[in-house]
Amino acid sequence: MTQPLLLSVKDLGISTVQDPRTLVNQVSFDIGLGEAVGVVGESGSGKTLSALSILGLLPRGVEVVSGSVTFKDKNLLTLNNEELRKIRGNEIAMIYQDPMTALNPVMKLGKQLLEVIASHGGINESSQNQVRALLSEVGIPDVNRAMESYPHEFSGGMRQRIMIAMALLLSPQLLIADEPTTALDVTIQQQILALVSEARKKRNMSMLWITHDLGVVANLVDRLNVMYAGRIVESGTVEEIFRKPKHPYTAGLLSSLPTSTGTNRERLTSISGVPEKPWLVGNSCGFAARCSRAQARCHSEVPPTVITDNSSVACFFPLGGN
Amino acid sequence: MSLEIKDVEKLYKIVSTDTVIHALNGIDISLPAGKTLGIVGESGCGKSTLARLVTGLEAPYQGSITWKGLPIHDVNKGSFSTKKSVVQLVFQDPYSSLNPRQRIGDAISEIITVHNLVEKNMVETRVSELLSLVGLADDLKNRYPHQLSGGQRQRVSIARALAAEPSLLVLDEPVSALDVSVRAEVMNLLLDLRAKLGLTYIFISHDLAMIRYISDLVAVMYLGKIVEFGSWEQVINDPQHPYTQALIQAMPDHTVIGNPESLAKTLEGEVPDPVNLPTGCAFHLRCVKATPACAVEPQSLREISSNHLVACMEA
Repeated sequence: MTQPLLLSVKDLGISTVQDPRTLVNQVSFDIGLGEAVGVVGESGSGKTLSALSILGLLPRGVEVVSGSVTFKDKNLLTLNNEELRKIRGNEIAMIYQDPMTALNPVMKLGKQLLEVIASHGGINESSQNQVRALLSEVGIPDVNRAMESYPHEFSGGMRQRIMIAMALLLSPQLLIADEPTTALDVTIQQQILALVSEARKKRNMSMLWITHDLGVVANLVDRLNVMYAGRIVESGTVEEIFRKPKHPYTAGLLSSLPTSTGTNRERLTSISGVPEKPWLVGNSCGFAARCSRAQARCHSEVPPTVITDNSSVACFFPLGGN
Repeated sequence: MSLEIKDVEKLYKIVSTDTVIHALNGIDISLPAGKTLGIVGESGCGKSTLARLVTGLEAPYQGSITWKGLPIHDVNKGSFSTKKSVVQLVFQDPYSSLNPRQRIGDAISEIITVHNLVEKNMVETRVSELLSLVGLADDLKNRYPHQLSGGQRQRVSIARALAAEPSLLVLDEPVSALDVSVRAEVMNLLLDLRAKLGLTYIFISHDLAMIRYISDLVAVMYLGKIVEFGSWEQVINDPQHPYTQALIQAMPDHTVIGNPESLAKTLEGEVPDPVNLPTGCAFHLRCVKATPACAVEPQSLREISSNHLVACMEA
């Protein structure tokens, strides 16, 4: 990695508290200063839980059981709630899939946005202008009126812009985005992706972008982690993952996607079966049951993550050899 | 021609504000039997309203919808006497469209019994037939929906729709709620069923890649109107309406990578309020090619090449 490290997740394990069931297993990845990393995976693959654990936001009944999350020089997993609160929103901000549930429905926007500043050090004369400047940067028309409006008065796309403004308010070094465009129409999604991409460049901000849609991250991030059944099965640059996937799951996923261009329509190659539950994987590769390359070994051993240069793959029989 | 949608309008009154939403404004579609029509558009364009009208769940305010010459409403009413329902609908979310307290076998046999389609002692056999038709194991009969995966649940929804022996299937975003790796399987199942049973499909989606994969004809909708209509090759590979062009450009494409410029904004603004429709062409406020005339003159579909219709004066 060329950039200095901003965040380093090592051997993260997440499990349910009662009747322990593994949900995330041995997840390790780094985010460099100014770097954008994408996490792709299906529901239940552990992508959201891994991200929530960074900020200590895991839902009740789920806990981190192993590993470390190092942000700059602090292990976030050992901080208490008060210490974490200083980092949340300030140094690491997060945007979610559904902005309506993240905004307070009975508080005017101006007040809500100022509250973010107030809770991290206090408001001064310039705060109002700071909020106005950000709202107009994210493309909210008639900023003065918007400050006096409630969340329900905006469309889904506008609400997501407001969420982004709120996240950028204190100039965080890392933005975590959990499928923020999944609920939006494609032309609005495109607008939001362009907006975030621009804001990131301007601030040299690092980003962790979670999605199930490979197309969304293809032009947004530098590197990609592919998660399956609670583990990162492959990671690499966008170029490597899309052009020369090594893990059979990544390759299968790519070939199962229809394209939106071209003149021929070949039958889609599908991956048979359903994703395995992370806690049922045990001593095997989580993808073995659906994998056409699987051999006896894949059903009885966990494939170790093999790291080469900037990429890694957890497979005994990767495509293109080891 | 088999499905004829003629000049259909649908209005919804909002009682509290005494206003009217124009959900559909003059829809004309002819769909030959055995073909698949893909309908693409963003939220609020009226694609799901059209699905509800075609399946007879709601009546059009104006215009007519006929299947093989018979109005849809009568067709479906008559279906009870002919023991058949002509049109069936498959919904987006297989979690909410199945009764959580009903076993899979019962959910399917219910349809067969209601329509009185086979002799009582043959119902069980027919359920097994339907399950195998959609690629599900026979022992799923005794399971409840929560014991099934999303893909399996959607297969059950398809089996229920097929239980009524329809000739036209309206699929409203049938794979949008499914995990990416299981979408391909359900899409392939739909292709196989179409070939095997000679079904006619209306496939509604916001995902152009899925539309492109399955459709013979494609209609692009914007604010209750069809703005472009033609074969899939014409509409997707040679789009003529500025909205279709923008939609295609905005579609996340995994074959184009590492090109941040591709994220450049394609369309400004958002879809206008359907209560106060813009004058002239409804798209002119967001259109890069708009001229002053576009704000005045409403556009209707015109043929720009063989069977390729576009509602734009600049096309």
